[in-house]
Amino acid sequence: MAAKVGSTGGGAVTGGPKGGGGPLLAWACLQLALGTMLALWGEQVPALLFLCGAIPLLLLSAWNRVRPPTGNPRLLARVSVPVVVLALATATAALGATAGLWLFLIGAELGVFALVWLIREIVAERRTVGG
Amino acid sequence: MAGLASLDHKATAAKVAIAATFFFLLSGLLALTMRAELAQPGLQLVSTHTYDELFTMHGSGMIYLFLTPAALGLGLYLVPLQIGASQIAGPRLALYGFWVYLCGGLAMYSGFLTNNGAGDAAWTGTIPLSNSSGTPGVGMDLWVIGVALATLGSLLIAITILLTILRLRAPGMTMLRMPVFSWTMLATTFMVVASFPVLIVAMGLLLAERHLGGVFTGATGSIAYQHLFWFYGHPVVYVMFFPFVGAVGESIATFSRKRFFGYRALVLSLLLFTSLSMAVWGHHMFITGAVKNQYYSLTSTLLALPAGIEYLDLIGTMVGGSLVFRAPMLFALGFVLQFLIGGLTGIVVASPPLDYHVNGSYFIVAHFHYTLFAGSLFGLMAGLHFWFPKMTGAMLRERLAKASFWVLVAGANLTFFPMFFLGYDGMPRRVADYEPRLGDLNLLSSIGAGVIAIGVVMVLVNIVVSLRRREPAGNDPWGEGQTLEWWTTSPPPATNFTSLPEITSYAPLLDLRQAAAAESASDLSRHIWRQRSEARGVER
Repeated sequence: MAAKVGSTGGGAVTGGPKGGGGPLLAWACLQLALGTMLALWGEQVPALLFLCGAIPLLLLSAWNRVRPPTGNPRLLARVSVPVVVLALATATAALGATAGLWLFLIGAELGVFALVWLIREIVAERRTVGG
Repeated sequence: MAGLASLDHKATAAKVAIAATFFFLLSGLLALTMRAELAQPGLQLVSTHTYDELFTMHGSGMIYLFLTPAALGLGLYLVPLQIGASQIAGPRLALYGFWVYLCGGLAMYSGFLTNNGAGDAAWTGTIPLSNSSGTPGVGMDLWVIGVALATLGSLLIAITILLTILRLRAPGMTMLRMPVFSWTMLATTFMVVASFPVLIVAMGLLLAERHLGGVFTGATGSIAYQHLFWFYGHPVVYVMFFPFVGAVGESIATFSRKRFFGYRALVLSLLLFTSLSMAVWGHHMFITGAVKNQYYSLTSTLLALPAGIEYLDLIGTMVGGSLVFRAPMLFALGFVLQFLIGGLTGIVVASPPLDYHVNGSYFIVAHFHYTLFAGSLFGLMAGLHFWFPKMTGAMLRERLAKASFWVLVAGANLTFFPMFFLGYDGMPRRVADYEPRLGDLNLLSSIGAGVIAIGVVMVLVNIVVSLRRREPAGNDPWGEGQTLEWWTTSPPPATNFTSLPEITSYAPLLDLRQAAAAESASDLSRHIWRQRSEARGVER
């Protein structure tokens, strides 16, 4: 009755990640209808704002269609310190907007350092998966 | 450090839960201070400026730092488990999201340490109140940056949940076999992805306005800001509500010993709900006279349709079921009944003439606290009590949980129901003092706030006691779990599952139990038939 994780589970098993775009498309169509209605009512600028809301989801849906998941489990590092450093750097740089350029620059430098660290971590991880 | 930087979605969700609880308690303390100030007219325990900071930070803390992240954190923990995934898509993105959100929250609250105090332009940061002449000082800047960071964090967490649903479902887990909670999370992420970026842009522009000027000038500038803000501000109400509808739905189905009623209708209603919720922001601007009232009134009233379908589904699930009133079920029923009050008064404010009368009054405060506290928080409590054994491997104390439920029910209604009358009698919101004739109802409301605080402490004590003196929970502590998370161990292992059952519907474990019951029933009838045949043979 139970199947191993990652196995296809036999011929009776259908569906899976490939069919995920339907609800996104349905939702985007509803958005389009409501946005058009708003535009016809005479509020063109808010209608534009409204219609733009669906764009990221439509792009995501298209990407999901073009690059369906492979289904193979990925190896992942258990912890990622550079991600934490990058987040702290982002916050520091953002606070620089009120504290001054000096804090923004510290945040930016920390961010570059964390980004390089993160890229090295991901490259090493992919090498492990490949090798 | 390993725990703080762990990429496991369960560890990230736990961090979100702890941070959200911290901000909830902090914002709750601010609410208690406000209610102490409002207990009687003329008290003036705090200055009017401090009072402005209190209600601004209370609202901001509860919305940006507690309910929204808590809803998404619940999804971050449970969605991979419910759809049979061993991990989330983009675990680094989720971890980054958590840390950015935490920094945002701390930045927002650190405004209290500055000379002019924390942000005091309400949780909406309305222009011109929030510009540099309306609210000078670093505290308001920190509020703006904090809101932007916290919203960015929530957005990134939502993206990982959405990608997980789209790309990491187990074999056999089609979209129409996803559990109810996962569907509500999917609908939630639609709204987050579509509306949260707009708030981040609005906060960026507000910061530019404060430092450079000329961005939101004059009446048109103020209206433009309101459009941007409420384009986020209305959907976020549903972001803080949908996941808890899912939690309530799962609890009710499990404790009714029944399959969820009207699953496909619920899915349809969720899609309709999310679309409409994006199209109603203008009803917050009726009094500006700058929006098409007919359109926003129509879309706002139409929200009653999907809401009605959801209520029908929840009630239909209970009808004919064998109901078991465990603590999660009680909280779920509390949600259903109390949210109804919030929802019905929402229809009142969807009508422009009625909105003109009650806008800016305590009626609005009562309405949204019935949706967000008496509704969403009870839904969150239902989810907490339902999934706590799965997350920790320990059962919560049932009697204490039920006692805390009744205390919270009493507290919530005592606090927020009088506010309807206060608002209708003309008490404006966001004021530190009021007319003496409104003193009695305000005193009742303040007593209620104290009762809520006792209820919250009881829940926290229950969690601590249950974790210290553990009563182990098995894989399926309720004995009637329907979805995949109840298949794995409590708490789940690092990879979530070692095996998966065949998925043939949105309630695979219920399918297995029913198949086993049918099999044993047919074994029994075969056994009886064999015995009868043997008896006939003996007679012959």
